[in-house]
Amino acid sequence: ACGGNDEGNVNEDNNGADNNAGGDEEAADGEAADVEPQQWRFVVEETQGQVQYVYAEEFAELVSEKSDGALEIDVYEFGALGSEVDQVEQLTDGIVEFAIISPGFTGTLVPEGNIFALQFLFTDDQEVNQDILNESEAINEHLAARYEEQGIMPLSFWTEGAMQWTGNSELRTPDDFQGFQMRTQESPLILESYRAYGASPTAMSWGELYTGLQQGAVDGQENPIFFIADANFNEVQDHMTISNHNMYVTMTTVNPDFYNGLDDATRDIIDEATEEMRQRGFDIQEEQNEEFLAQIEDDDENPTEIYELSEDERDAFRELAIPVRDIYRDEEGGEEGEMILDMLEEEIADMSGEDPTETDGDTEENEDEE
Amino acid sequence: MLWTLLGVMVLLLLLGFPMMIPLIAGPLIIILFFMDGLEPTIMIQQMVEGISSYVLIAVPLFIFAADIMTSGRTSQKLLDFVGAFVGHLRGGYAITTAAACTMFGSISGSTQATVVAIGKPMRERLLKVGYKDSSAIALIINSSDVALLIPPSIGMIIYALVADASVGDLFIAGIGPGVLIFIFFAVYSYIYAKIFNIPLAPKLPWKDRGDVTLKALLPLGFPIIIIGGIYTGQFTPTEAAGVSVLYALILEVFIFRSIKLTEIPNIALSSGIVTAAVFVLVAGGQAFSWVISFARIPGMLTDAVLPADPTALNVLIIVAIFFFIGCMFVDPIVVILILTPIFAPIATAAGVDPIHLGVVIVFQAALGSATPPFGVDIFTASAVFNKSYLDVIRGTPPYIIMLLIISVLVILFEDISLFLLNIF
Amino acid sequence: MQWLGAALIAVWGVVRKGLLFLDSALHSVELFILKWSIIAISVLTFGNVIYRMVTGDSWFFAAELSRLSVIVASFIGISYAARKGRHISMSAFFDLSPRKVKKTLAIIIPFVTAIVLFAVGYYAVLYTHGIYVSGRTTAAIGFPFWLMVVAIPIGCFLGGIQFLRNMWINLVNKEIYLAQDKKDYSEQ
Ligand code: NA
Ligand code: NA
Repeated sequence: ACGGNDEGNVNEDNNGADNNAGGDEEAADGEAADVEPQQWRFVVEETQGQVQYVYAEEFAELVSEKSDGALEIDVYEFGALGSEVDQVEQLTDGIVEFAIISPGFTGTLVPEGNIFALQFLFTDDQEVNQDILNESEAINEHLAARYEEQGIMPLSFWTEGAMQWTGNSELRTPDDFQGFQMRTQESPLILESYRAYGASPTAMSWGELYTGLQQGAVDGQENPIFFIADANFNEVQDHMTISNHNMYVTMTTVNPDFYNGLDDATRDIIDEATEEMRQRGFDIQEEQNEEFLAQIEDDDENPTEIYELSEDERDAFRELAIPVRDIYRDEEGGEEGEMILDMLEEEIADMSGEDPTETDGDTEENEDEE
Repeated sequence: MLWTLLGVMVLLLLLGFPMMIPLIAGPLIIILFFMDGLEPTIMIQQMVEGISSYVLIAVPLFIFAADIMTSGRTSQKLLDFVGAFVGHLRGGYAITTAAACTMFGSISGSTQATVVAIGKPMRERLLKVGYKDSSAIALIINSSDVALLIPPSIGMIIYALVADASVGDLFIAGIGPGVLIFIFFAVYSYIYAKIFNIPLAPKLPWKDRGDVTLKALLPLGFPIIIIGGIYTGQFTPTEAAGVSVLYALILEVFIFRSIKLTEIPNIALSSGIVTAAVFVLVAGGQAFSWVISFARIPGMLTDAVLPADPTALNVLIIVAIFFFIGCMFVDPIVVILILTPIFAPIATAAGVDPIHLGVVIVFQAALGSATPPFGVDIFTASAVFNKSYLDVIRGTPPYIIMLLIISVLVILFEDISLFLLNIF
Repeated sequence: MQWLGAALIAVWGVVRKGLLFLDSALHSVELFILKWSIIAISVLTFGNVIYRMVTGDSWFFAAELSRLSVIVASFIGISYAARKGRHISMSAFFDLSPRKVKKTLAIIIPFVTAIVLFAVGYYAVLYTHGIYVSGRTTAAIGFPFWLMVVAIPIGCFLGGIQFLRNMWINLVNKEIYLAQDKKDYSEQ
């Protein structure tokens, strides 16, 4: 007998009963929709407790609530179903219905998505950046179309927080990067960015990175703070630079055939959940990044000197990072990419050039919508 | 579904199918008959994924390095070196065997290579001074098992791959238990020699000792390169394996001149065959691992064998039993590939250190594969020494008992594996 | 009708010669791949270390080419190991079985093995084709990813054929063969 199926049936019955008990109330609110019961799978690139996993769990809860428990989403943490690249293929093959996919892992499939590897492209205000991700036509229409051609349908682009540098020496000026062995993802544009600063970027597998940093096989790495603390890199690194040189962008995606084949009521539930999760996603990463920043600051056993770059210091890096955009325009992104980058640069200028008070207003408006 | 899967796999294994077949057929049957709408091409994706890890490239490299040294003179130099210092002691030849196996284990990643390289020459010396053949062979098999624990270790690389743990840390953590085994065996050899009155060998003068030490210095460079190189950040475990190939080549081809450069491709062929045989298993193991994760099987199985809220010790004991029994029947690599994805998540949840878990698992793999009736080492020894199955197992019980005792110690005191890591 | 029989025998003779030639050519290719993939991985790995120590930079292609060598060697190795009876198996029950049981197993095992390999080979063709259509490239060098995986269908089909031969040799001979080049230990 198939244990899995038996268990599944029992769960369904339970959920049905539970939700009927509380269902009347919701029905009175007019929020509960009548949809066919379905079970879906949602795979993420991070493990339990990390930003993507928490996001996916909350997404699953929202969908379940909105459907009176008819729509169940089972969240698979990273590692259960293979590598990040495997997960992409599993989404396009319809083996999983939902996935969180970072453009960094699909660079060979959708080279235009490497746009997010460009450093100092976005602003250093993460809320503004999230607004850009939410509203940009370049991203949500033109770039999203490139993904859809490959069987990946982005529902939303969102940030997991600003990327920071850690090192066994100070990283404040491009001079500090001379001969510095920087561990990065295996993406040509990221490698080029660090070469532009004078560093020697190297790829190293995740499993070896802690020991590699400890023993000095590599000198430093880049990641959002929650990732740095979760992997305990601060234990083996003496310095952390709040560089905000980039942000870690990821996408909530669905298999397009699956999504387009849904009835309207079901699809509306997914769309609503996606919209509500925009702010929640931002909050989850902000909470985690702040909490872990405090934890690194308070760790007296493994002291880490934390330094925040000034605007001038950021400019020194920005100057070196801007020519890398031409590599994206000419080689990586192709014609379509060039158009997307030009449009995105304009949008960023528009949105960051606005009066700061107006930017704040925008954010509040977003919150009101929910 | 769970029992279909395990039933099919065990049946195919016991019938004597090539081990890759149960690993591939099990998940294939699950996908075709139990998973609606799932395309079996997912298995191919995962088979590729299984052998795509950069860490895994260390395996053929360590095998190649060991093959080069087995064809050359490295093992002879090590034997002379150890023999010169401890050969004259009570039980000296047996202790020499244990020590040389431990040392060669720190060069080669595999038990089989150690049995061939050290076991063959040492067995003759042991027989000459009056050891019974069965005790000599038992000593050799079990001492060679240390090769799995002392770095480099192919078993640890495979575990690291499946459990996503650091190979470097596992290598360090294996040293403590490995040395503990050597100490037990050395003490036993001393007592055994006393009881059976094994004659003493002549003591070598210091001049001769200096001589053999000099000659052994170069082979003794291996552990320094591997452990030292990884731990000073000079290179990754995979690179250490590459460097040890280069070192073995320089030693055997240019310094000892025991192998001609033109013979190297044929040595590579034998490494290539072993690599392919192992990697096909790793590929199949990943396909298996994917299917059981996708179907959420680990939870079902562990619910059946573990209490609701298991302690770290509960988990370790269950893990030890499963791996021990598994490795009594099947190649340790296959057992690690199948059981690790089932137990590692539960062990982590129960608070077991993943490095300690790796050491316990590899220890059980070593123990199980030396244990009758079917431990693979027994068949290796039977083939290498051309002795019957019964002759090979007759002398093993005392060693199995010692290994069982040490295995309890390793499970109870995680510091035996972790203390070196805390020092480094 | 006799001339037809003679003609068929003559044709079969030619075909057989051709097949044997093809087989020995394949055998040489397998040998070449197994030998040189190991040597290539070695040179790529220690070469990269030396290059880095001298220049401070790494060979960006080392990891990907090693990976390619490993995949090709592993799957082409299925066929070679099948010829030589070198696959790892738990042979204890087989070895202890009476001769009749052994003979039966020596026919059934390679047959079922071949079927499994053909099935996997079939899905590997579908998978490789899917990768080919997607146009996916490798991350560092950027060569087509389907080249990375095409050894799998090839290896599985060649391996399946070798296992069928292992079955055949047990059907037409009295002795028990573990592989076409290897008799059972009890008969050596
Ligand atoms: Na620190
Ligand atoms: Na070893």
